[in-house]
Amino acid sequence: MSRDGERTDPGAGSVRKAPRLWAGRAATAAMVATVVLVVAGALLYDVVAVRAGQPARRWRAQVADELATRHLDDVWVLLGAGVSVLLGGWLLWLAITPGLRRWLVLRPYGGTDAAIERAGIGHLLADRAAGLRGIDHLRIRVGRRRVRVSVSGPVDPAVVQRQLREELGRVGLARPLRLDVRSWRGAAGGVADGAPDQPDDRAGEAAG
Amino acid sequence: MRRTVVNRVLLGLVGSVLLGFGVLVLAGGLDLYRRLGVHPPGWWPLTSPDQPVLSARSRRRWVESSWWWPTVIGALAVLVAGMAWWLVAQLRRTGLHRIDVPTPGAGGLRLKVSARALEEALEHGTSVLPEVERARVRLVRAPGHPRLRGAVRLTPGGDPVGLVEHFEDGPRVDAVRSLGLAELPADLRIRVREAPAERRRGRRRHRQLE
Repeated sequence: MSRDGERTDPGAGSVRKAPRLWAGRAATAAMVATVVLVVAGALLYDVVAVRAGQPARRWRAQVADELATRHLDDVWVLLGAGVSVLLGGWLLWLAITPGLRRWLVLRPYGGTDAAIERAGIGHLLADRAAGLRGIDHLRIRVGRRRVRVSVSGPVDPAVVQRQLREELGRVGLARPLRLDVRSWRGAAGGVADGAPDQPDDRAGEAAG
Repeated sequence: MRRTVVNRVLLGLVGSVLLGFGVLVLAGGLDLYRRLGVHPPGWWPLTSPDQPVLSARSRRRWVESSWWWPTVIGALAVLVAGMAWWLVAQLRRTGLHRIDVPTPGAGGLRLKVSARALEEALEHGTSVLPEVERARVRLVRAPGHPRLRGAVRLTPGGDPVGLVEHFEDGPRVDAVRSLGLAELPADLRIRVREAPAERRRGRRRHRQLE
């Protein structure tokens, strides 16, 4: 497993486990807080005004009237409930999921945590592949767990696989990506798998 | 992290309320209980499609009770105060103008360093590292002690691991040492610029000619 052992000394900080990135959700939270603030503030103002002897504002009487007259099978009520379900589900999703899917965590080094943009990994791989001869078309998709590369032309997929794995090892991800290279060999039309003799990419990457 | 937790709790609470209310109304309005043969308990709200969303009777159910208005006003006031406090906290978030520097041995002396000066020093130190095209460093609040947050763009084919090591051993350690800080952890966000198309094509042709 020495094929990507470029950097086997990740430094003193590597004993620390790389934390997963969690988005702050600041913008959405601020928006929700503003809406709640406006609605609750208006209601509070009106309730206090009514308690102090003023008549209720028109909007509140109107809302109360609509709520009391429209039945549950009214189109607008159903539409509103549908929107409420979608919005609520989206907010819950934002609350639960980590977010920041564009970023992959690198191995921490000392007191520095780092993350790299997935598109950046794609650029590095494309740049490396550009140095190979015999590639007519190249497509690289960097996912969060694996990189899918499809390549066409007379090039040997195993070579592409080896080169790109080396480049991927150079990135230094905390959780290494799997690398799948598929090849469409021009006119022959056959689909060849890049590395049939390497069933476990992760083992190789983790050793690096 | 603490801020993230509060944000997420807020989103989760509001989301649950919206989702729960929407599901109840949809279930009642589409008459799902009867169609699916489910019999909800007697106190279950919004079961029949012929029912208003909030009838005048149920709205006025507790109006006569002495606790009703104080409770409503109190709850609304707590909600308004809480949200206002939270918004102010969000706005305050960006501002970290100074950082305390420890002064061992000099009891009465309190030393502060401008955050901007520290950021500029680190930005400069980072942008001269190899393969760095652009660097931005900010000092941000974090639980316990401040943190550095850096955004770095590398030139095409740049080396992310090398950058992290150079940043740690260079600008960050220099800053921590020269200010005598106990801790100043950093988060780096690394982008890599795409190689220009002609360069890639050129390289390929070049290799083919070899």
